[in-house]
Amino acid sequence: MSTDVVIRAGRAHASGDRSHRRPRPKRDPGRVLRLYVPLGLYLVFTLVPFYWMLVFAVRPAGSTTPVPWPITFEHFETVWNDIGYAVFFRNSVIVGVWSLLATTVLAVMGGYALSRYRFRGRTLFMVVLLCTQFIPGAMLLIPLFTIFKTLGLINNLGSLIVADTVFNLPLSVILMSGFISAVPFTVEEAAMVDGCTRLRAFLAVVLPQLRPGLIAVGSFAFIHTWNNFLFALMFVSRQDSFTIPVGLSYTIGEYSADFGALAAGGVVAAVPVVCVFAVVQRYLVHGISAGAVKG
Amino acid sequence: MKRTTAWAAIAVLAVAVAGCGSGSGPDSEESGKTTITFWDNNGGTRTPIYQELIKRFETANPTIHVEYVGIPIASVQQKYDTAIAGGDTPDVGGVTTSYLANLVGQQALEPADDWLGKSAVNGKLAAPMLDSVRDTVPDGKLYLVPGTSNLDVVWYLKDKLPEAPKTWDEFFTDVHELTKAPDQYGYTIRGGAGSIFQVLAEMYAYSGVTEFFDASGKSTVNDPKNVEYLTKLAALYKKDTPEADVTNDFPKMVAAFGTGKIAMMHHNLGSYNDQVKAHGADKVGAFALPVGASGKRTIVANPVDGFAVFKGSEHKDAAWKFVEFLVSKESNSYWNQQTGQIPANTEAQGDSWVTGLPHLKTAVDALNDPNTAVVSPPYYLPQFSSITKADTEPLFQKVLLGQMKPQEFLDTMAQKLTDAQAEWKKAQGG
Amino acid sequence: MSSLRRRAVPYLLISPTVALIAAFLVYPIGSVAYYSLQNRNLTRPWADGFAGLENFRRMLFEDELFWQSLGFTAKWVVAEIGLQLLLGLALALIVNESFIGRGLARSLVFSPWAVSGVLTTGIWILLYTPGTGVLRFLGHPETAVLGNLDTVFPAVVVTELWRGVPFFAILLLAGLQGIPGELYEAAAVDGAGRVRRFRHVTLPHLRDAIVLATLLRSVWEFNNVDLLYTLTGGGPAQVTTTLPLYVAQRAIDSKDFGYGSALTMAGFVILLFFSLLYLRLSRFGEDR
Repeated sequence: MSTDVVIRAGRAHASGDRSHRRPRPKRDPGRVLRLYVPLGLYLVFTLVPFYWMLVFAVRPAGSTTPVPWPITFEHFETVWNDIGYAVFFRNSVIVGVWSLLATTVLAVMGGYALSRYRFRGRTLFMVVLLCTQFIPGAMLLIPLFTIFKTLGLINNLGSLIVADTVFNLPLSVILMSGFISAVPFTVEEAAMVDGCTRLRAFLAVVLPQLRPGLIAVGSFAFIHTWNNFLFALMFVSRQDSFTIPVGLSYTIGEYSADFGALAAGGVVAAVPVVCVFAVVQRYLVHGISAGAVKG
Repeated sequence: MKRTTAWAAIAVLAVAVAGCGSGSGPDSEESGKTTITFWDNNGGTRTPIYQELIKRFETANPTIHVEYVGIPIASVQQKYDTAIAGGDTPDVGGVTTSYLANLVGQQALEPADDWLGKSAVNGKLAAPMLDSVRDTVPDGKLYLVPGTSNLDVVWYLKDKLPEAPKTWDEFFTDVHELTKAPDQYGYTIRGGAGSIFQVLAEMYAYSGVTEFFDASGKSTVNDPKNVEYLTKLAALYKKDTPEADVTNDFPKMVAAFGTGKIAMMHHNLGSYNDQVKAHGADKVGAFALPVGASGKRTIVANPVDGFAVFKGSEHKDAAWKFVEFLVSKESNSYWNQQTGQIPANTEAQGDSWVTGLPHLKTAVDALNDPNTAVVSPPYYLPQFSSITKADTEPLFQKVLLGQMKPQEFLDTMAQKLTDAQAEWKKAQGG
Repeated sequence: MSSLRRRAVPYLLISPTVALIAAFLVYPIGSVAYYSLQNRNLTRPWADGFAGLENFRRMLFEDELFWQSLGFTAKWVVAEIGLQLLLGLALALIVNESFIGRGLARSLVFSPWAVSGVLTTGIWILLYTPGTGVLRFLGHPETAVLGNLDTVFPAVVVTELWRGVPFFAILLLAGLQGIPGELYEAAAVDGAGRVRRFRHVTLPHLRDAIVLATLLRSVWEFNNVDLLYTLTGGGPAQVTTTLPLYVAQRAIDSKDFGYGSALTMAGFVILLFFSLLYLRLSRFGEDR
């Protein structure tokens, strides 16, 4: 399904990506050793666990064969219908997307300020951002809960979006400032000399070059939100507002050791993110404009 | 121009919050309906059972809407603690006596004595379970209405073990004889999360000690007979049981048993469905923990699982109505039949399916035997669950790994329990 | 545009972030600091009240597990970050080459990043548990890597690498993309070999990305609770208990919030000290 899209995307870049159009010997025997062997080994390491999860998800309970045949979809039916993944999935998408948008926009703003301005309080701001990462989220649950309750943000997806955005932000701002710093300021200046306002210069010149960074930070925000169990369970007390991690925790616990359902839930949790990421990862490569930059 | 970015960002955030906030707020009081929230303390596999019961309840009580929330069992205490601290508790919650003292200590629950006194189910709930609930709290009130009871049993594969052992000596002989490492093991030890409770149940069944504290308030956990049992058990590890046992929590243990390479596994009635799913109902049997040298069957009382009305509820009468419904004969019978446990409702206990399920009959027979002694663990100690989990589970792993002597381990646990008991007594002013 | 307005721009840009952090993080973190000076234990409500520095005294002088967990945390962070950086850099360099199927290869090797700690545990438990796992196909039917004191550390490290390496690889790949191709061409013209090009072009350019990634990731691995909590629960016999895991055991499982807060503050101070030291030593963000 999505694989051929990916392959096409990969090919498109292999030819279109300027930074890789440097001269390279055609038949390099060292290339196999340097490139394909480690890559192959790493792929095995990456894929075996996924394969194992898939095996558990599609083979009947009680079976122990390493190659499942015939396959069954009973575990998927269990998680999707009985456990309620259909609803959890929708909620996870909503929370993930909004948190991604909010985090990325705010991170670009904050990151730009950190990277391009030397203002009073800049170091302090950096350190505070960093400090927020020093405390495990579990210790902040009760005071956070109290704040959300005061603001009327309990029991809806909004509270999850806000909480996840807040927790994604510090890292995202710091990361983004790094990516913005990597884009030479001279490019922006040149545009401003041409009569652009600073905002327009940013949007027209810097933003396109930030694409790899935006993808990295955006997927970071989305994935963290997608996977956050603790907030999802603690800030929401409505069955129809739970997200996938809560569903996952249903399948494994005292009185339920349903590895088939766990694995099927895992597939539902992982596959969309993996697929979306498979598609967007091609933007981790600079666009054509990147070649125009003079370092 | 620059500010537009900021405004755009704020607008996005606002839309994000508003867009999702609306429509998912509590839809209470629509058309005069009362909405109550029910938290299931073991959400997941048991969710469909409650959904069915709620459907039946709402048909019988059209003015009440029950909102089901399934809390994963591993996080239920944290969820309650957070909700209580934030003042956002449900109307009805599934609660067990293992954390009842904590909830009552936080003044979160409403006693049900008055309601029960006027109710049709009054007198129909098993007296030992009611006593067990009342004994858990200092004021002796009924903060939890029992729904089910459980019993430790040993599940075994019938093709490996034709006849269940009656005594511990027979048990150890069987374990040894059934082991053909590494292809087959006679037994599996729970060494990970939840280990201590099972070890306690085994030790007291072996030693026949019937009180958790002696007259002077000292814990009996390190009774010489208990130490003797633990020494025997620890000696099995890696010889007659798999190496993986040291990290066995429930899912891992059940998975190991599910491979069919392990003959016996100690858990309780509640895992009936897992055993059936893995092996088929006719392949797996259960026996109550064997009898020790005293010749008297000794059972460590499992926590009582039931339902509590929360103090913060704005619809306490509707909440009680739901609790009453859940423990009524029909509902209680349905719930326990689905899970394979013992109903709290004595009328439901008489239903034919109870005697029809062999494992349940074993359990009921063991419980009803007049010769059976019941040891009540101090669930009333708020520290009990932390002592038997976070404090001592890692130490038990040390015992299995040979880093700690059974005697030292039990002395440590006994000391903690004795201290906690003394401190609690003092705090109660007694 | 007036200089006043010009000077206001950065503050305007950071204001939403500052507002959110002030509203939702400063007070909760402050409350942890407050509770670290209190006796607050749900299982001993009668003893609640001001404790002064008692929690810290207990932690520093009486609690072996605190020191043990600190030692393991150091071992854990160093092993994870070292290996993640090494493998992540190698991976980024590999998938930055052009070859057929690169897009697919990237998608695949990056994909574990999208998997949560809890699910990672779920998957790896299936792999590691003797009855369900893959080791039996390698001739070790009964090896319980998570239950053996000699193998549990490598086992948990590998599990976290599976999901952690892609993060490094993605950040470093994004960094590699920022290196203008002309630099390599110039270096090649000067006759620089592959190794020299890497040392003199790639590494200096990646410096900030590496510093950031290692710092953020160290903090993250330090505070990473979900994977270890679910995979080993800190065991067997506490040998894989990190400080934050120990915090969770005290504050959440044992409901001793006061003491858990004191432990949290200890972690906070340690991280603050090392972060500042690291930033200073790495001269992060300084132009050369």
